[in-house]
Amino acid sequence: MAKTSTSAGHGAHGDGAHSEHAAHAHISRGTYYRVFAALMVLMALTVGAWWIEGIVALPRLLGVAIAMAIAIAKTTLIVLYFMHVKVSERATQLYAAAAFIGFAIMVIITMGDYFARGWPPPPGPLP
Amino acid sequence: MATTALPQRGYLHDDTPNLGEWIRSWLFTVDHKRIAILYLLAINFFFLLGGLAATFVRIELITPQGDLMSSDVYNRMFTLHGVIMIFFFLIPAIPAVLGNFLMPLMLGARDLAFPRLNLLSWYLYMFGGVFALSAAVLGGVDTGWTFYTPFSSTYSNSNVILTITGAFIMGFSSIATAVNFIATTHKMRAPGLTWFRLPLFVWAMYATSLVIVLATPVVGIALLLVAIERIWGVGIFDPALGGDPVLFQHLFWFYSHPAVYIMILPAFGVISELISTFSRKRIFGYEFIAFSSMAIAILGFLVWGHHMFVSSQSVYSSLVFSFITMLIAIPSAIKVFNWTATLYKGSISYRTPMLYALGFMGLFVIGGLTGIFLGVVAIDIHVTDTYFVVAHFHYVMVGGTIMAYLGGIHFWWPKMTGRMYNEIWGGISALIIFVGFNMTFFPQFVLGYLGMPRRYHVYPEEFQILHVLSSAGATVLAVGFVIPIIYLMLSLKTGRIAGDNPWEATGLEWRTSSPPPTHNFEAIPVVTTEAYAYPPEAAARDAAEWRPGSPL
Repeated sequence: MAKTSTSAGHGAHGDGAHSEHAAHAHISRGTYYRVFAALMVLMALTVGAWWIEGIVALPRLLGVAIAMAIAIAKTTLIVLYFMHVKVSERATQLYAAAAFIGFAIMVIITMGDYFARGWPPPPGPLP
Repeated sequence: MATTALPQRGYLHDDTPNLGEWIRSWLFTVDHKRIAILYLLAINFFFLLGGLAATFVRIELITPQGDLMSSDVYNRMFTLHGVIMIFFFLIPAIPAVLGNFLMPLMLGARDLAFPRLNLLSWYLYMFGGVFALSAAVLGGVDTGWTFYTPFSSTYSNSNVILTITGAFIMGFSSIATAVNFIATTHKMRAPGLTWFRLPLFVWAMYATSLVIVLATPVVGIALLLVAIERIWGVGIFDPALGGDPVLFQHLFWFYSHPAVYIMILPAFGVISELISTFSRKRIFGYEFIAFSSMAIAILGFLVWGHHMFVSSQSVYSSLVFSFITMLIAIPSAIKVFNWTATLYKGSISYRTPMLYALGFMGLFVIGGLTGIFLGVVAIDIHVTDTYFVVAHFHYVMVGGTIMAYLGGIHFWWPKMTGRMYNEIWGGISALIIFVGFNMTFFPQFVLGYLGMPRRYHVYPEEFQILHVLSSAGATVLAVGFVIPIIYLMLSLKTGRIAGDNPWEATGLEWRTSSPPPTHNFEAIPVVTTEAYAYPPEAAARDAAEWRPGSPL
């Protein structure tokens, strides 16, 4: 890395100075283990929810909501800790957020199309 | 640190003992300038290949009978043209060639932030290209470049998987380049080079990179899902398997409309540089041009449904998409108006790059305004899948991106090679391209409005005159493209030595030697002025003193 910076990094005056601390920020090993444990628990919850859905016959919407909530929790943990977004500088956090905003735009507008199909109902045959 | 002295030799300097070493010195280089040259060669190869496919299409359309090739071969020919031109020429052309060469130079950096990732991006591009080419060699693909389902996922008997694998891999190449540009812009600007001192080319590349990073994964996934449905019969898009074909269109256009901005935003950046340099004036409304690039990048994510007005999309969605499509005309118009205002009272010299820039402005305005026609639901339904659409997007992509690409290549050719090209032939070829382009594509607006559908090789006889005119224009256009290849190649041997700054331009890239040394600058430059800091009296002084080289 030092070699690279000799050849490529000498102009690094952009946002480098004020993010120096971010480059050295790190996540402790203990935190990694705790996050890993949390992910295992969430995985067990996913399987458990599937089991319960089969036994209790939960409403479909509720089942989906539970599955989504667990999935979002897992994703958040992975992005924040394993992908280091929590200790990254602002620009990185902004890009990570932008990806989710872009994803949300895609899903919301696409689903908007699906919900609005058939509004208004197609007119019948002409008299 | 910033003042470390490095051995300075031109990046083209060759001291390899034999041919094998020479090849290795290029294929394993991590110098952004050499990688740009690798891209230049590869991308121009694909451009010629895509042009060859277009030639066959235009020859076929000279007669209304469909007598040169069968409808199936014709389908494969226009698909080859579309796939090659979109994925392997238009999307990477300006970022990978001019962006790779210029971004570190404009930022006052020694290289991009991740030089090895940069080299990897070229290999990914080539690897994707090999897949696409092998699909063509093995019989081609007949889906059109849009790969609409369920035809592509279920019914097509052509090399769909190979082709989409090529496009999928090439997407990663784009992403690698974009990540490099974003990191370099944030972290490696020279001292004093604040965001609002950046050249507008850098702003444009930054906005483009944002679009690439956020949009490309979506098309990657969409193409992967097509492959999954095609190989394993998993019902995703095919109604017969319980899927929804319109979902594919949503996912595809979520990328492919922003992809239009991936093609055109870098072109805007090039044009800003050219207009300012050859008007000898600070660009008018710098901040507005910079922010309009970002506005286009963001709004570009909200308009994809205007490609789907006849797809069974809900009418309410169509209305919303139509309205937002109108909005995106605003930042595009801001740029054109600001370039025009820059020209006002400028000392305009009609050198070859400027001819391309002026051509760009005219053609892009026609392409952009017809885009507004197509954004209106009622008109779009009338001309959907006609030659009107074909003419529109060629005005934007060819009239926009290719004009800017050629203008940029000419403008920075002295910097890239250290040699000047033949200015007279440059001007002639720029005019030939402009005339040939309009001859080719303007008749297509008329054809489309009269009802000629795209992707058909048999047509009513009354359309023949317009098709012949279009094919004749394509011939002129092809001549216009071949001439620069000849005189630019000749300039490498016989061209006049350019000097460091032949255009008397501002910008850090002109403050180093031509061609630049491997590490770009003897010492990292310190920036103390705004971009395009032409002295206020420069234009007036030039008007008083005739500038050599102006043909008018």
